[in-house]
Amino acid sequence: MSKTKSETKQSAEPEKVRIYIMGSRYDVPTGLTIMKAMEYAGFKITRGAGCRAGFCGACSTVYRKAGDFRIYAALACQTPVEDGMVLTQLPFVPAPKPKYKIDDLRPSANSILRYYPEVARCLSCNACTRVCPQEINVMNYIQDCLHGKLAKAAEESFDCVQCGLCTIRCPAEIPQYHVAMLARRLHGKYNIPTPKYLEIRVKELEDGKYEEGFQELMTIDKKKLKERYTTRDFMDQKKGGGDE
Amino acid sequence: MKYSYFPGCNLKTNSVGFEETAIAVSKKLNAELVEMPEWNCCGTIHTQTTDNLMKRIAPVRNLARAAEHVKNLENSSKEVIHKQVVTLCSMCNSTLKIVNAEVKEDTDKLEPINWQLEYDNLEYKGDMEVKHFLEILRDDIGYETIMESVEKPLKGMRIASYYGCMLLHPEIAKIDDQEAPTVMESIVQALGAEVIDWPFFKFCCGSYHIVGEEDLVNIQVHTLIDAAKKRNANSIIVACPLCRYNLEHEQIELIKNGKMKNSLPIFYFTQLMALALGIKPMKLYHFEEHLVNPKPFLKELGLIGRKKSK
Amino acid sequence: MPFEYIKMDKEALKFIDTIEEISGSNVYLCYDCGKCSSGCAFVYKMDLTVNQVISYIKTGQKEKVLSANSPWVCSSCLTCTVRCPREVDIAAVMEAVREYTLRNEPERLKRIELTDEMKKNLPNIALVGSYRKKSEL
Repeated sequence: MSKTKSETKQSAEPEKVRIYIMGSRYDVPTGLTIMKAMEYAGFKITRGAGCRAGFCGACSTVYRKAGDFRIYAALACQTPVEDGMVLTQLPFVPAPKPKYKIDDLRPSANSILRYYPEVARCLSCNACTRVCPQEINVMNYIQDCLHGKLAKAAEESFDCVQCGLCTIRCPAEIPQYHVAMLARRLHGKYNIPTPKYLEIRVKELEDGKYEEGFQELMTIDKKKLKERYTTRDFMDQKKGGGDE
Repeated sequence: MKYSYFPGCNLKTNSVGFEETAIAVSKKLNAELVEMPEWNCCGTIHTQTTDNLMKRIAPVRNLARAAEHVKNLENSSKEVIHKQVVTLCSMCNSTLKIVNAEVKEDTDKLEPINWQLEYDNLEYKGDMEVKHFLEILRDDIGYETIMESVEKPLKGMRIASYYGCMLLHPEIAKIDDQEAPTVMESIVQALGAEVIDWPFFKFCCGSYHIVGEEDLVNIQVHTLIDAAKKRNANSIIVACPLCRYNLEHEQIELIKNGKMKNSLPIFYFTQLMALALGIKPMKLYHFEEHLVNPKPFLKELGLIGRKKSK
Repeated sequence: MPFEYIKMDKEALKFIDTIEEISGSNVYLCYDCGKCSSGCAFVYKMDLTVNQVISYIKTGQKEKVLSANSPWVCSSCLTCTVRCPREVDIAAVMEAVREYTLRNEPERLKRIELTDEMKKNLPNIALVGSYRKKSEL
């Protein structure tokens, strides 16, 4: 798809914008996303790209614009390039990820502070909210975690794609997106009732109802697997297992 | 009369009794505390450095939000609201007060902080005042009103008032005389309890040293509790969640190590006010949060429990 | 009694300047009355008393000041500041020494270990406070 698009544009002499990728200058057609512009320029992205549809959060990017002191952050697959952009691609955001047993915790602020004591370092500078590509009010949910309002924190952070941009910008070194995950887990486990269908599905899994289907998928060859993937039908829920 | 009220983190997590009784008391005394809809942690302890603006953002953000809240309150309730934000926690009180005074005096400091708030469409104009609930009780309500509304005098309680450092220090954040404060004592008297005069009213409990250097806090608390017992006090009142935690936690440790025999119950001043004003239900008091259970003590004095009150 | 010469070299003067800059307080105002030390609630745990710290800063003895535990034992209760007859903001000077150390060697920040009992009940302002005072932020 993308190939044909760029070909048609090239034939019609598309307008170009000048961008700077890791310091070197490139002229790329307008209307490309940052990710596509980088690929157009010849970069092969091996890490830091995923769904290319703004859902997985793998392609977090920081950039600056010409004549603007601010650091901008975005998902590279969602943001079109602009003239004078200085940019790079972040392959990975390091963040601590402590192990916990959700059954041993209580839904309280101290459960969060126990694993993420750095939440207490929050300065309320709001840098995290400013970079969030999902427009989540990150500072507010971190503060809610600190105040023990887990329901509010879980709701606020629900759209998080875990790109990690907030974590890069945080002067207090809080891994916000992992904190939000813990808050959502605590909220889901203790504060809201477990839906019946989930119980049924978990029981089905435990009873090994889908074991056969999985085994089949594991053993068939690549070609057949591809074929099944392309012909899969989301609507055909009744048979079950087809889209797994 | 309504007041914009800033709760602070702890009153939402493990000092809920402090907040809920305070709000109940404020309603009863016709000076309702209305919580700000949006607020953040104020930073607990004020930075004493001159050059660190980062740590001043949080309190200024709260002040700006409080100013908005006052405006909204005024529009919705159609009465004049003082440009004040009321706090309960003594640490929040001192942090907000100090920073407020600093940025009012020095606009060079306020300006860069306001740049940080720009993104949220907030701006602090330096027009707010920070008050502790004790100041409201003293200045706006008055001890007489409190005395008149007492339904159940706290007979038998001999209370040592523990201010802690942050209600009286530093000069710009004090709520009363630094070396001879009387607010808490006057309230205790108004509630019908006996005032215990003791010199340790602002002897630091160790504060945040509880994290990492517990032995320091242990010695401080030992001194404090011994002094209160020597002067025949049977309970202590505080206005700070951290003081309450330190005093209770270390008492338990001291008893465990055999350095002390029996423990003194620690109360928030609002809990005792609510008790004397006859505020119910008991759920509001959240006595289960206290590490030293105060219920047996109150039952012994006939202040709680159904048999004697009805 | 043994004595030592105080060397007021460039480094010492720079140290004094930095401390004064961070704290915003003039340490030369101090006349060593000792009121700060006598009122301090934690002085028994300090290896240099409060007024000793101030006078070592006055004379630029950086090593002695930085190796003392006094600024770290200080809990910022501000009793010294309030009582100082010369209006030196002593607690701020203590904070400045802490900041000086942390700005130059951030590894001084200790990883905080909590006991199980504390994890359940510790007020979060204790954590916020200790981070604000003992970390380089």
